Amino acid sequence: MATPKPNSPGDITTFNILHGFPEALVRGMRSSFLQDADYHHLTQCETLDDVRLNLTESDYAEALADSNTMTPASLQKAAIDKLVTEFKYLRTQTVEPLAKFMDFITYEYMIENVMLLLKGALSGRDINELIEQCHPLGMFKESTMRSIPTFENSSKGYADLYQTVLVDTPVGPYFALFLQESVQHRGADARNVLEEVEIEIIKSSLIKYWLEDFHQYVENLGGDTATIMGELLKVRADTNAINITLNSFGTPLNEPDMRTSDRKRLYPAVGHLYPAGTSMLIDVQDEEELGRVLDLFPSYSAIWNMHAGGSGDKSIDDGFYERDVQMLELAFESQMHFAVFYAYVKLKEQEIRNLVWISECILQQQKDEINKFVPVFSQHCPWRMGKKH
Amino acid sequence: MSEVPPTRMNQQIYKAKKKAAQGGHKLLKKKADALKVKFRDYAKAIAETKSSMAGDAASAFFSMTQAEYAAGNFKQKVAEGSMSARIRVGAGVDNVAGVKLPVFSKYETGAAADNQSLGLVGGGKKIVAVREKFTVLLNLMIKLASLQTSFQTLDEALKVTNRRVNALENVTIPRIEDVLSYISRELDELEREDFTRLKIVQGKKEQEEKESAAKAAIAKKNPGKENDADITAAFDATDDEDVVF
Repeated sequence: MATPKPNSPGDITTFNILHGFPEALVRGMRSSFLQDADYHHLTQCETLDDVRLNLTESDYAEALADSNTMTPASLQKAAIDKLVTEFKYLRTQTVEPLAKFMDFITYEYMIENVMLLLKGALSGRDINELIEQCHPLGMFKESTMRSIPTFENSSKGYADLYQTVLVDTPVGPYFALFLQESVQHRGADARNVLEEVEIEIIKSSLIKYWLEDFHQYVENLGGDTATIMGELLKVRADTNAINITLNSFGTPLNEPDMRTSDRKRLYPAVGHLYPAGTSMLIDVQDEEELGRVLDLFPSYSAIWNMHAGGSGDKSIDDGFYERDVQMLELAFESQMHFAVFYAYVKLKEQEIRNLVWISECILQQQKDEINKFVPVFSQHCPWRMGKKH
Repeated sequence: MSEVPPTRMNQQIYKAKKKAAQGGHKLLKKKADALKVKFRDYAKAIAETKSSMAGDAASAFFSMTQAEYAAGNFKQKVAEGSMSARIRVGAGVDNVAGVKLPVFSKYETGAAADNQSLGLVGGGKKIVAVREKFTVLLNLMIKLASLQTSFQTLDEALKVTNRRVNALENVTIPRIEDVLSYISRELDELEREDFTRLKIVQGKKEQEEKESAAKAAIAKKNPGKENDADITAAFDATDDEDVVF
């Protein structure tokens, strides 16, 4: 039997040859998510030690065994470390193209780390502190990281920085694209762009390039992966576009000249909203107009109404989280594609968010707000209950 | 008391001192009362601010939790970025009944707001809420800090003033009064001494007069028995009549 070409994930007949083992692992890990009963017990806890006690029966037992007392921050760190260990283990079992796919997942965190290191180096912070703050999923070579702050804070410095350091990292190309576009846009001042432009805007631009790149790669893979993962990425791009528009009201980004120049450049070139929706979003300047634009897209108008109607209970971020969790859970429903790996990382992140939320609520004695999290793989969530009737 | 010679001049001096001390005592008492009123006001204001701060602090930190749920960990991004203070605290001096109290006032430097696009891809509204809540908390804290430092300074000033009032009341004025009463006693005694002396002198004078009067009376009763040695005594100017031509 010939080994299939290592360029496509294969279909139902050939997927398992190369990628069956990692998929089996990931599905095994799926059962480690906290159940409804676990969440229920956790919300009933009075102190953080109770929370710790309850978590010892779950998959987090080993992760928490070392520390003496638990704080929400330590819980978050332990949970993220556990996720990173699992991810690295999965990654070592994979071959191309699944390996590259998993690397793509890490680029998101790498972008964040690079921005943090650069900005911190500009402000003169100690490199060791900065490295500690980096997200563990997005680490790249230590030597590269340490060399970032050694560059001078001048135009020549940035050129050198890019040539020697960033070009090695996988996210280097995104940086190149960003600098290129800045040169096009602002002229010769592009060298100072790292200082002038806010860190969030640079990061949003880099994430945009990453999304487009990822989407391209996934489309090339074809098959179920392209369908399911493509959908997930499109929805992610749309979420970004809507959030950027919504959150830019009241900041300098919303002024008419900034809108066409800077804000437009932040909208990704993938997604259901592209190109018609995003071109409409460019001109939006307040929430009413945004609502009207989104009414044309039924799936987003529902979420928008959650924000516009009752801004007390649920916010638009909650709406997006719920919708994301639903789609990511659905990714697990079919086999023979890569999207389960992406879904696993994202759902685990949501679970960590939930755990931190619950422990903070208990710590700050805000018991009435404690149920405002989105459980993962819950049997009682609205869309599952809706189906049963 | 023994150092002060009991003269009338000293009596005047000490009367003046007593007046001054009493006047000063009255003024200081007024100042202490004014300070006491302010003291109670400050204590009430501090209690109110502290109790409202408890609730505000809880809600501010909870809004931080909500923002981190929606936007991920943005603490490092804020901390590692460059920061320029938008709000500064100015120290001023407030004058209450003559006591200079330190007060803190907040003023905005008008610098551009950093990190305005912090929650750009998620949780932006929540981050705005965090900013607002912490601004409220910051205002309360500046107010509370100002109140507490003023309260402490006021406390010190009140203690000092009370001490001075008590000192005047219980030490200085009684001493002056003692001196005054001593002087007046001594003066009285001197007067009495004088008086008695005068009486004695008067008595002596009367006696002398009596004696000399008695002598004169005796001399008048016996006119011829004067001395022969005294020839001219026998010659009286009215014995012979004048010779008239």
